[in-house]
Amino acid sequence: MNLKDCHNYSDFRKLAKKKLPSPIFHYIDGAADDEITYQRNTSAFDDVDLVPNVLRGVENVDLSTTIFGKKLDLPFYLAPTALQKLFHYDGERAVGKAAQKFNTMFGVSALATVSVEEIASLIDTPKMFQFYFHKDRGLNDAVMERVKAAKFDVMALTVDTITGGNRERDLRTGFTSPPKLTLSSLFSFATKPMWGINYLTRGKFELPHLQDHVGEGTSTATSVGNYFSTMLDQSMNWKDAENLCSKWGGHFALKGIMSVDDAKRAVDIGCTGIMVSNHGGRQLDGSRAPFDQLAEIVDAVGDKLDVICEGGIHRGTHMLKALSLGAKACSGGRLYLYALAAAGQAGVERAVNQYRLELERDMKLMGCNKISELNRNNLRFRRT
Amino acid sequence: MNLKDCHNFEDFRKLAKKKLPSPIFHYIDGGSDDETTLRRNTESFSDCDLVPNILASVGKPDLSTTLFGKKIEMPIFLSPAAMQRLYHHEGDLASARAAEKFGIFYSMSSVGNDTIEEVSEISKGPKLFQLYVHKDRSISDDLIDRSRNSGFDAMCLTVDTLVAGNREKDHRTGFTTPPKLTLQSLMSFAMRPQWVFNYLTTKKFELANIKNKTDKGTNIAQSVIDYINEQYDPAMSWKDAEYCVKKWNGPFALKGVMSVEDAKKAIDIGCTAIIISNHGGRQLDGSRSPFDQIQAIREAVGDKLEIILDGGVRRGTHVLKAIAAGATACSFGKMFLFSLAAGGQQGVEHLLQNMHDEINRNMVLMGCKNLKELNSSKLIYRK
Repeated sequence: MNLKDCHNYSDFRKLAKKKLPSPIFHYIDGAADDEITYQRNTSAFDDVDLVPNVLRGVENVDLSTTIFGKKLDLPFYLAPTALQKLFHYDGERAVGKAAQKFNTMFGVSALATVSVEEIASLIDTPKMFQFYFHKDRGLNDAVMERVKAAKFDVMALTVDTITGGNRERDLRTGFTSPPKLTLSSLFSFATKPMWGINYLTRGKFELPHLQDHVGEGTSTATSVGNYFSTMLDQSMNWKDAENLCSKWGGHFALKGIMSVDDAKRAVDIGCTGIMVSNHGGRQLDGSRAPFDQLAEIVDAVGDKLDVICEGGIHRGTHMLKALSLGAKACSGGRLYLYALAAAGQAGVERAVNQYRLELERDMKLMGCNKISELNRNNLRFRRT
Repeated sequence: MNLKDCHNFEDFRKLAKKKLPSPIFHYIDGGSDDETTLRRNTESFSDCDLVPNILASVGKPDLSTTLFGKKIEMPIFLSPAAMQRLYHHEGDLASARAAEKFGIFYSMSSVGNDTIEEVSEISKGPKLFQLYVHKDRSISDDLIDRSRNSGFDAMCLTVDTLVAGNREKDHRTGFTTPPKLTLQSLMSFAMRPQWVFNYLTTKKFELANIKNKTDKGTNIAQSVIDYINEQYDPAMSWKDAEYCVKKWNGPFALKGVMSVEDAKKAIDIGCTAIIISNHGGRQLDGSRSPFDQIQAIREAVGDKLEIILDGGVRRGTHVLKAIAAGATACSFGKMFLFSLAAGGQQGVEHLLQNMHDEINRNMVLMGCKNLKELNSSKLIYRK
């Protein structure tokens, strides 16, 4: 199996599984507890059907959308995810360049393995930085200043990782970052020699946004769950978020909003967007799926800020359903991470292009020429 | 396993799988993307139950109805399906003969392997022609004229195929028409020598109705997906549809209507019928199933249109439920193509006999003397 056999999400997943040492594959692939929320994130889309309109003359489809004041050529973007060099030695460079090629937004994680300065020098398309609120306020301020200096367009504060989710697959595989060899993981690293060679020879693994401030995540092997639990400030409250928002002074989003009340408060503190997300099912298992919760939130705040649906998206039709309900855009992590692991930048480009072609085809089949024509008349929920 | 072991959809499917090279089997069997709509089309019938009335002195129920101005012996017919010679060397001729025998509509696809004239030569039964609007409009005009001259009774225009669905099984099997041998598919062709022998020794494979207009799909091995994307006009509008209705000037259906709004527009442009269909789950995955949508459409259009439910029908009880929910008749593609692959004309006849017996038996069990008595009071939707 190679890249040209990858026609969809699950093909990329299979190829990633072949290429990655198993602790790393399962770090991407796994989620919290029994992974019920993880599964629901995708199956939620099956409870509603699309109702197309015919004979609309759909030769030219425009997939562009505007979020955070930026026009993107696609109604979805690549969500910030941590530790990308673990998945492919080019890491964030590969993902950023692929995003630029399709003129969509690229999200850079606070736990990125390539610096914001380097990303800013590589791509000039819209960029989002994902911020974790650390106990160390000096670190918080320093990161904020660097991102501002690198001229990122959007700051997104993650609010659903106040403590690490219970990712049981990581407990079993012994996933740490940087990877630490245990007896049980040794075999899986040994059977993927290419990954090992690339990892060891293609530049040092580091977390450039944090390394001056903390030992965690650089030379000391730590688990991501452990990092959340020990480094992040669990006392973070709405006041802190409001301060960050005004300190940033530009487009600011809260990532991980699930309740209508919180969505309204996000408006009150000056946010211009929210990501309806449960962190890909990796935090609170049993949490509601973003798509299940989307309509309520759009009804409450959709005219006041950009609502983004994140989680469980595998298909162009999933995006059409979220956009029809009123999301301004969709995003995802696994959406492109398997492709990154499968083949670096070429993999991400192939995946993004497939979603683009799916959207274009599905828009035609729906009888829609542009994203703004999608609305709830296109949807029927099944009898429950 | 042979024809007499085929008692239902799954049996015909199994036998077809044995007889066909795998790229061809999967071309029939597959849907688009994750095939959620393909599955839902059939599953949706299970969300409601039939409620029989007893002691209704039914005797022998009357299964006949009127469709496109013709009396048909039972409320089902064969959906138009492309390239039937891939499935059995007698192709459309086999299905047309079987349909005639049971007094139901046979439908011919624009991309059939036999000509309009050949079929009208061998069948006096009711016939529907299925039209695609090609970028070259003279192709569509020519098809309408020839269908009229050959005595076809009705015309339907497919409106859900502006662009080909994402049929991933075809990517994997390398399905093209005419079949091109790849290393991957060679084995599966080699293991079905009977199919290969018949395919090579009978009439040449061609898109008979349009061969004078385009060489696409005849000489050049091309996937159906490429054919659709190159030849069909994605700019097709209501004006184009109205033009076809006027030009045909007889019973006319739009095939692939799913929204209430579009069903009403179909009345406005002069259609006499619509076919509620998502192209057997082969186009927009995530699209609503015809059975989920039929009641809303029937309520909106009243008796101004005949409504055909197309998609997911595998059982006599599915037909009964569809009619109770507002359908005039049902049509099916996959099911009859499997029977065609399984046994040619004899296979299709065997299927139609099964369906006749199921519908007849179930009408008796429901306590209904005729199709009019099957109304929404006979259905209860589960909560």
